[in-house]
Amino acid sequence: MPETTLPQTALISDPHAQLAAQLKAQRQRRERLRNAAAYAVLILIALIMLYPFYWTLVTSLEPTGNIYEAKILPTALSLRNYLEVFSGTTVPFWRLILNSVIICVLGVTFTTTLATLAAYPLARMRFPGRDLIFYSILILMVLPNEAGLIVNYITTIKLGLLAQTSPLADAARQYLAVVLPGAASIVGLFLLRQAYLGIPQELIEAARIDGARELTIWRRIMLPLATPTIAAFAILEFVAYWNSFLWARVMLPDKNMLPLSAGLLELSGTFSTNSRAVMAGAVITIIPILIVFLMGQKYFMKGLEGAVKG
Amino acid sequence: MTTKGRRVSRREQHRIGGTGASVTVRNTLIAYAFMLPFLILLVVYHTWPVIFGSYLAFTKYNIISPPQWVGLANFRELFADEQFWSGLRNSLKYVLVVPVIQVIAILVALLVNRPLRGIGFFRTAYYVPVVTSFAVVGLIWSWLYKQGGAVNSVLMGLGLMRGDHSLLDNPATALFAVMFVTLWKGIGYYMVLYLAGLQGISRELEEAATIDGATRSQVFWNITLPGLRPTILVCSLLSTISAIKVFEELYVMTPNGYPAGSTYSALMYSFSKAFGGDFNFGLAAAASMVVAVVSILFGLINFRLTKGGRSDA
Repeated sequence: MPETTLPQTALISDPHAQLAAQLKAQRQRRERLRNAAAYAVLILIALIMLYPFYWTLVTSLEPTGNIYEAKILPTALSLRNYLEVFSGTTVPFWRLILNSVIICVLGVTFTTTLATLAAYPLARMRFPGRDLIFYSILILMVLPNEAGLIVNYITTIKLGLLAQTSPLADAARQYLAVVLPGAASIVGLFLLRQAYLGIPQELIEAARIDGARELTIWRRIMLPLATPTIAAFAILEFVAYWNSFLWARVMLPDKNMLPLSAGLLELSGTFSTNSRAVMAGAVITIIPILIVFLMGQKYFMKGLEGAVKG
Repeated sequence: MTTKGRRVSRREQHRIGGTGASVTVRNTLIAYAFMLPFLILLVVYHTWPVIFGSYLAFTKYNIISPPQWVGLANFRELFADEQFWSGLRNSLKYVLVVPVIQVIAILVALLVNRPLRGIGFFRTAYYVPVVTSFAVVGLIWSWLYKQGGAVNSVLMGLGLMRGDHSLLDNPATALFAVMFVTLWKGIGYYMVLYLAGLQGISRELEEAATIDGATRSQVFWNITLPGLRPTILVCSLLSTISAIKVFEELYVMTPNGYPAGSTYSALMYSFSKAFGGDFNFGLAAAASMVVAVVSILFGLINFRLTKGGRSDA
């Protein structure tokens, strides 16, 4: 609402104008008060949401002291715990980081590639069986999959992904075993389908008139225009793969193959490990996610909304 | 979904199918080639668990020897096991999180929907717990819950707690302590969904009502809330199902039903039967099936309660 001020003379002479000015001042006071209250609540919630992370950071930086107490500032600063988590633990931390990176790269590549390919015919091509496939996937999405962990474990063993032959082949198979169960993402399929459907038909018509084949149209027109959605989906999947720990921890026989988040649990479970070192590990685990999230925030929220609307 | 039902209009057909409705052999081959890798993995890791998992529930199976059909024996064993009942009760207790998280998320969404300076920071801050792993978040909170830890300091400072004992060590409070973490981690997620819902409500309508003399609370109850109803349906459905399937936070913070078996959830029970050492996959699958049935039932109840998410009801 544009703010307008009355001329001073009118304020003095006109009783109505005086009343109006009073009412306005009152309303502004109330609005300011309401805003102040809103900020107070906003800050309180922000403290509750962020303090646990801040506390972990502070405690991981302290060399000694009362470890679990509530604190605002560190009593002393040192990187000892960070050195310890890299050197003094039973699970090699460098290896965990490497595992997480490999798993994320494989996971993001698989999920985005598969969804980008599979969504195209479902969105823009005509072929027998299309509706059947589409509705089957839709039904699959609502079917309860509580036994997934159990059956996927059995499947992984039966597929021989946990077989042991040579160290390098074992490692490759175990990475695949971690990544494959999530590689066909139904949410991703719907996100990409939506992106393809949003591309104007005129572009395709024009290309067809110029004699382009289906594959050329996909590669030269559809794919570039769907890139923003693919990027959003890639960010979502990066976070998902980086954060997932249960499947890997349950299934992998070799502790050296664990991703970071699962390895952290392993570390905290061993009595020999200093808790502050685990906190240092927790901070290291969170940082990449925070960076990706802050950089791709817009994409992230879009992807989330799209995923729910499906 | 843009295609409404099976019958697709000519325009629509044209849009999807391209000129000349070219259902050629070549295009069909291309289509299936594009979908094949996705479909193979989908069948192996999504469809197969539903089928094989249901079958396993009626068998004895330990991976080494082939499954043996035992009829309803697993379910009889399940329902005779006090541990399973306690797990199921805890899963149902966990549904208490749903109304709390939804109400708070709606209030927070209303709060961050105000055009205040720096509001973007708060939205981002509230979302940070959502993007962090339960492995990390669970560890952090189990440190905060320690005896002499931050949570106890706050609770004792507010006069809400006598005696410095960890909430996670007490069978009476452990489950609720974990529920709080679920709440804390989930609010940002639902907040974003409600924000999207709020954006869909017509500003003009709210303003017109205000001009006609409606108070803020009248506008909220008569315009904003009904407008949010579809979002409320989706959100409460999602959170009900994930409450009944609660597992990860318990797995990290109170493993194996710690303390004294007080925090078993139905799915935690299933997990411990499969991976806790005795490889009883049949019993575990049966427990999973019960969880599936219960979550479907609750989904239906939820659907009735929110009147199918219709905003006109």
